[in-house]
Amino acid sequence: MAHVFGDRVDVRVSDGRPVRFVWRGRLYRVRRVLEHWVTTRDWWRERHPDGEATGEREFWRVEATPDREIGVYELRYDAVSDSWLLSRVWD
Amino acid sequence: MHLHVASAYSLRYGVAPPAALAARAADLGLETLALTDRDGLYGAVRHVRACGAAGIGAVVGADLGFAGGERVVVLAEGRAGWRSLCRLVTAAHAAGERGHPVTTRELVGAHSEGLVVLLGSASDVGRAIAARRPDLASRLLGAWRATAETVIEIVDHHDVGDGHRAARMLALARSSGVPAVLANAVRYLEPADHPVAQVLDVTRRLVPLDRRHLDDRTGHAYLKSVPQMRRVAELFCGPDDAAELLAETRRLSERCVLDPGRDLQMDAVHLPDTGADPHARLAARCGEGMLRRGLAGSRRAEARLADELGVIARKGLASYFLTVADAAALIRSRGIRCAIRGSGAGSLVNHLLGIGDLDPLRHDLVMERFLADSREGLPDIDLDVESARRLEAYEALFGRYGAGGTACVSMMETYRARSAIRDVGNAVGLPPQEIDAIAKAFPHIRASQIGAALHDLPELRQSNLSQGRLDVLFRIAERLDGLPRHIAMHPCGVLLSNATLRDRVPVEQSALGFPMSQFDKDDVEEMGLLKLDVIGVRMQSAMAHAVAEVARTTGEEIDLEAVPRDDPDTYTLIRTSRTLGCFQIESPGQRELIGRLQPWDLDDLVIDISLFRPGPVNSDMVSPFLDARAGVREPDYPHPDLEPVLRESLGVVVFHEQVLRVLDVMTGCGLSLAEAARRSLNHERGQAVVGAWFREKALARGYDEATVERVWRTLTAFGAFGFCKAHAASFALPTYQSAWLKRHHTAAFYAGVLTHDPGMYPKRVILDDARHFGVPILPLDVNRSAPDWHAEPVSDGGATGIRVALNEVRGISDAEVGAIVGARPYASLTDFWRRARVSRPTAERLVLAGAFDALYAGDEQVPRRDLLCRVGALDRVTARRGPAVPEGQLALGHEDGDGDPSAFAEPVPLGELPPMTPAEIVEAELDVLGMDVSRHVLGFYDGLLDGLGIVRAAALPGRPAGSDVLVAGVKVATQTPAVRSGQRVIFATLDDSTGPVDLAFFESVQEHCAATVFGSWLLVVRGRVRHAGARAVSITATACWDLNTLYGEWRHGGMDAVRTAMARRWPRPRPVGRRVVQPTGFAMSPYSDIGHAGPAVKRAPLWHAGGGSSGPSPN
Repeated sequence: MAHVFGDRVDVRVSDGRPVRFVWRGRLYRVRRVLEHWVTTRDWWRERHPDGEATGEREFWRVEATPDREIGVYELRYDAVSDSWLLSRVWD
Repeated sequence: MHLHVASAYSLRYGVAPPAALAARAADLGLETLALTDRDGLYGAVRHVRACGAAGIGAVVGADLGFAGGERVVVLAEGRAGWRSLCRLVTAAHAAGERGHPVTTRELVGAHSEGLVVLLGSASDVGRAIAARRPDLASRLLGAWRATAETVIEIVDHHDVGDGHRAARMLALARSSGVPAVLANAVRYLEPADHPVAQVLDVTRRLVPLDRRHLDDRTGHAYLKSVPQMRRVAELFCGPDDAAELLAETRRLSERCVLDPGRDLQMDAVHLPDTGADPHARLAARCGEGMLRRGLAGSRRAEARLADELGVIARKGLASYFLTVADAAALIRSRGIRCAIRGSGAGSLVNHLLGIGDLDPLRHDLVMERFLADSREGLPDIDLDVESARRLEAYEALFGRYGAGGTACVSMMETYRARSAIRDVGNAVGLPPQEIDAIAKAFPHIRASQIGAALHDLPELRQSNLSQGRLDVLFRIAERLDGLPRHIAMHPCGVLLSNATLRDRVPVEQSALGFPMSQFDKDDVEEMGLLKLDVIGVRMQSAMAHAVAEVARTTGEEIDLEAVPRDDPDTYTLIRTSRTLGCFQIESPGQRELIGRLQPWDLDDLVIDISLFRPGPVNSDMVSPFLDARAGVREPDYPHPDLEPVLRESLGVVVFHEQVLRVLDVMTGCGLSLAEAARRSLNHERGQAVVGAWFREKALARGYDEATVERVWRTLTAFGAFGFCKAHAASFALPTYQSAWLKRHHTAAFYAGVLTHDPGMYPKRVILDDARHFGVPILPLDVNRSAPDWHAEPVSDGGATGIRVALNEVRGISDAEVGAIVGARPYASLTDFWRRARVSRPTAERLVLAGAFDALYAGDEQVPRRDLLCRVGALDRVTARRGPAVPEGQLALGHEDGDGDPSAFAEPVPLGELPPMTPAEIVEAELDVLGMDVSRHVLGFYDGLLDGLGIVRAAALPGRPAGSDVLVAGVKVATQTPAVRSGQRVIFATLDDSTGPVDLAFFESVQEHCAATVFGSWLLVVRGRVRHAGARAVSITATACWDLNTLYGEWRHGGMDAVRTAMARRWPRPRPVGRRVVQPTGFAMSPYSDIGHAGPAVKRAPLWHAGGGSSGPSPN
């Protein structure tokens, strides 16, 4: 069962991929990257995009664990705002 | 490293030009780069050159499409691979429909020597992997391995699922023992370019922008560095497999690097076979030519011939000259007029072989401008032929040299402002009418100028387009700037080679069905191929038509080449500036120059044509020359040594040839080296190098500093803009010939000009000119009009008129014209309807344009409106009974059915409809024929024009300079040429039935005038009179109005309303764009010499056309 969140998370990146993140005060370790993909923005829908519409969004679906319990988490990185969100959680 | 790269030559797919890709690859430290454009090798030659320049190895291949949408990349290895690749691409184009090439595995198999097939995610194997059908994938892979050398290509753009698919592809390669390489299916240079690729995705598919229509959803199809590529691979397969993939990729890249000389044979020349010992045969034919041209025994001619043959022998070009002579003779043997143009006219060998008709010695033309040891590559000979028979000339050449050894040259049409706005407008989903209106609001500028033009041009500032609503549209449209969008047949280039042509050039079919090389004119030169420019010139067709009309009507056979070139009557005509319709000297600027220059012979015409160029205008050569010529002041020579060189142009440097001689005289370098120096003058770096060399040499030879400086300034101002005298001389001949025809066979001349439409003016202007020259205009007549314009004696021994052509009727088809002419004569409209079988709209248009008036003249006169009703009635009867009504069954065509109302199901009584007024008749003529035949359209505004005190063109020369006048007329031309000040000046010409009125709108008035000038057909203009020479007058405009708007005011409120409308205030002027300063110091408006906004008024380039040989075009 997937839950949709939109919480900001702090993510530690190493070698180009997320290795740890902090969500609601708990530390999660990434055990495995299940899926990774990126999408460009729909720049043509934006009425007055500032500057060039080059920003992409990067998605990481990972197996991560705060303790012994393993869950699947989807992290979203937005290049324009340089920020991470936790977008979905499966448990 | 990168094995799968699309450049902008993958139409509507790739974004970056080959040179940019190669430069970026070198910056990234890559050692090799492939170019694998979609279904073609359009960018291959540029890629090979660019890689050479960037110091990296060039790999060439193609990304070939299959009928089911699958794609594979093939790479060429070595000379055999290149040959296979060329032939495979050609075969794929031959297999599909034009523009939709189709490759099959069998086709690849038939050309597999030296090819490596890359099976990526778009291949059948890749699709099977994506569909999780490993069994099917390995079966398909097996089939490919039996076909050609096969490699698995792995691409991961980080779209959803890409990583897993990549891993499965790698697993397939490993399990089946096929090598795997890593690629990135590159489409652009850097991530920020992805919106352009996305726009191309939707314009290619003709769908609106939406994620589901995009190939590129991730922005990762850019040229990545090796570390970036390694990271891509590590994400899907881990570091060990990634390293192995990269190593395999590097091995394949290195194997496939092509050597331009060894593999592509770009270092050799590939001429048609002309048999054994071509040089001896060339020398012999030149010897015969000396006899035929009456030059035998002339020591000057013999010395010149020996010189030229010496260069030809050293460069091994005898076959080239024999081939061109053969081609020119072949074209002439078909009865097609053929003239040489360009620097080739300066060669005595060309003259002796019969390629050119001008004697270079007599006109003092030098050969080095055309042929010199210092010039690289093949010389350039251009042939002008009748435009209407150009394709016939092509067919003759294809017949002679064989389809395997001949091809037309292609050219890439690129995105400009209007086309970019159209394509992007469609992609963002604007309604078609709105897109059309927006595109047409722009002048014919580059797409990259869109934003600047919105800001600069008054006609756009006032158009509501610049209010931000369309920002995204314009921004993306700008980014399409210069991208190829369509391949077309070059208008004149033909490749003549031998049977190995198809081994080195990929060929597809042109729209006209000719085999067409995928290489453009620069590419074929790089590939060492002979390109003959066979240029269709409408004036040549117009003159051929005139000559044929003279023969048809009088039996007199004219040989234009044999007409003496010193006919005083012809020059008298030219000196009046009434030269509309004549080659090269009909534009307003040229008529003004002709008026001031007053030519007396062919050499004067040569100078005139050369002076009418940006170079001479810029370096202010025109006034000193005209003053010296008028005797107002002495010719001024920078140094007595230069007098012999500059005497013909009274001290002014006009010709390329003079630049050569000036350099030679002052440095003693010889003409060949001087030609090399001249070619360096058109760029800044070259100017600096040549300048230093020139100063040193000239000072060493004892010329004083002041003289050297002065001469150098003149030479740099002349820059690259000067004119090749040989080119001007080859233009002066048709100029003279056309003027001669106008003077001596006036009606036939107009018939030719109206049929082939060679000039810059709309036909109605030519028609009006004919009226002024006393040529009767004979109306359209179903029993007399020919398909084309004909000369027709009005009465025995009387004046000869011109008869309006059937082809002028809007919408008429060739078949209808043929049927009308074939079934003549007609006794009545009914008779015509029954036998000519034209469509109803055509019949109605014929009636409206008066084509039946002659049948119903005299006592039984039937007005056009009644005839129009009868067409309707006839059409309804035919529709009921079917077209094949047997004679007699219905009274159609019985006696004169028109007189017998019973012939019609619906009787049409006579005389109940009012006859058309003269105004309605002219309106109908403008609608049907596009020109006012019966009377001048301006005649209907006489009341208003008289009230305003309009001055007519004929009365303008009598007005004092500087006086304020109002003029009016039909706009017949607008131009924005490059002028000395660097302003954008709008030149417009009105026609007011007494002659042309030439107007200049400077930037100070464009704020309130530009939109009206470009947007209106009928204009009223206020301005000041300026006299230019003895007869020519031009008006410096201060204000303008749309005549129909004023006419509306007049109808409603009389002259007071008109005066109120004209007294409205204007906005404040501001400059129109920044100046562009050329390396030569020549300032230009960025909007000079471009097609203007709004609907087209017919326009031709202001300056002489013709690339290489006449110097670069001014923009």
